[in-house]
Amino acid sequence: MRILASFEWSFIWDNREQLWEGFKNTIKAAAIGIAGSFAIGLVLGAVRAHRIPVLSQLAVVYVEVIRNTPILVQIFLLYYGAPELGFHFETFTVAWLAITIWGGAFNTENFRAGFEAVPKRLREAGYALGFSPFKTFLNVTLPIGGRIALPSSINTYISVLKNTSLMLVIGYPELTSVASNIQAITFRTFEMFTILAIAYLVIVWTLSGLIRLLEARLALPERL
Amino acid sequence: MPELPDWFRPVAEYMLREGLPETLRLAAIAVTASAVIGVLLGTLMTIKFRPLQWLIRLYIEVWRGLPILVMVLFIYWLPDYRVGPFHIQLNAYMSAAVALSLWGSAQVAEATRGAVQSIPKEQHEAAAALGFGWVGRHSFVIVPQALRRLLPPMVSLLVNIIQNTTIAFVIGVNEFLQSGNRQFENLTTQTGNGHPFTIFGFVLVVFFAISFPLTLLARYLERRLV
Repeated sequence: MRILASFEWSFIWDNREQLWEGFKNTIKAAAIGIAGSFAIGLVLGAVRAHRIPVLSQLAVVYVEVIRNTPILVQIFLLYYGAPELGFHFETFTVAWLAITIWGGAFNTENFRAGFEAVPKRLREAGYALGFSPFKTFLNVTLPIGGRIALPSSINTYISVLKNTSLMLVIGYPELTSVASNIQAITFRTFEMFTILAIAYLVIVWTLSGLIRLLEARLALPERL
Repeated sequence: MPELPDWFRPVAEYMLREGLPETLRLAAIAVTASAVIGVLLGTLMTIKFRPLQWLIRLYIEVWRGLPILVMVLFIYWLPDYRVGPFHIQLNAYMSAAVALSLWGSAQVAEATRGAVQSIPKEQHEAAAALGFGWVGRHSFVIVPQALRRLLPPMVSLLVNIIQNTTIAFVIGVNEFLQSGNRQFENLTTQTGNGHPFTIFGFVLVVFFAISFPLTLLARYLERRLV
């Protein structure tokens, strides 16, 4: 109780500028990561669902390697390992690239599952109307499969956002590393945890609330 | 097979001897605690008593919503405190174990709730007809059946937790990634070349070699049991 009594809101207010900068850096990396993992997931998900030779097998390798290894190790490989091969990335580049690659792998699976859930006869109907395979994908598979994949892909975006916190290890000044630096100087553990918890939970809960909202709005008719 | 460079053998031996057991032990502790707490909370959540349901729902949403790193840091930062006669100060290793268990138990609780609710109500009625009370009904009839359905998500959780143990790196636990990083730093100071790509690539390969078979097992179980 002594701890709660000494809780000072003013302390968060005094550091608001640093924390706000950190929050913006988190959002910046997460926004690129989310957009990138959407693009990768859409393309590779379609490649996997349509079993396009060679590309499909390469996508499987990519997905399985990323999903079965820790993202922290992937960050280390990009940040420390890649320069040995001649690729020098800036901190910010590693920050968004790592979560994009990671989210892309999970999203490939989400979209593959969504596209594969579209009944074959709907695609056949598209062909019968004279659509090319690409047009059929755009007009039939994507709108229906995309809706099916939406909840799981938003879950992936939530994880992408949470994973920006790991950029603390490479010194990217996002929210968690800013708060951690302030804590290291001042030992204001509870204040820093409170602000971190509020910031992350507000975003994460908003996004997961969005899933429920969209599920109701975009629900498919019962019988496909 | 290509010739391994001279420096690699001692490095790999150190990592596999010091780091890997630590990673596996941490994962084992976290998975066990997650399973026990998660199954208990998930089962309790099926009781139709609103305040209890809200409380467990809050537990699940908070620990699932926060980045694990934030939880690891928070628990590690906590000042020492007293609970009755006990003086509690968690070291880095236990902080990581607690944070991973909180996260994992939230995942298990959510999965358990679904699995318990998926058991048909005839099973409840039949057990009740045999004279079982709520506790007996759940511990001998309902939960054992739910556990069968929980097996695939439990294996997936194990994979996730093994990978998330690397987060303990941040607070200095000598798990597998940390052991690789220490060797990388040693080599850099001693020889000027730390071979980061080979070392962290090795870390990646070992994690993959552990996780991938488990992922395949989870997929196999899912096909078999559902």
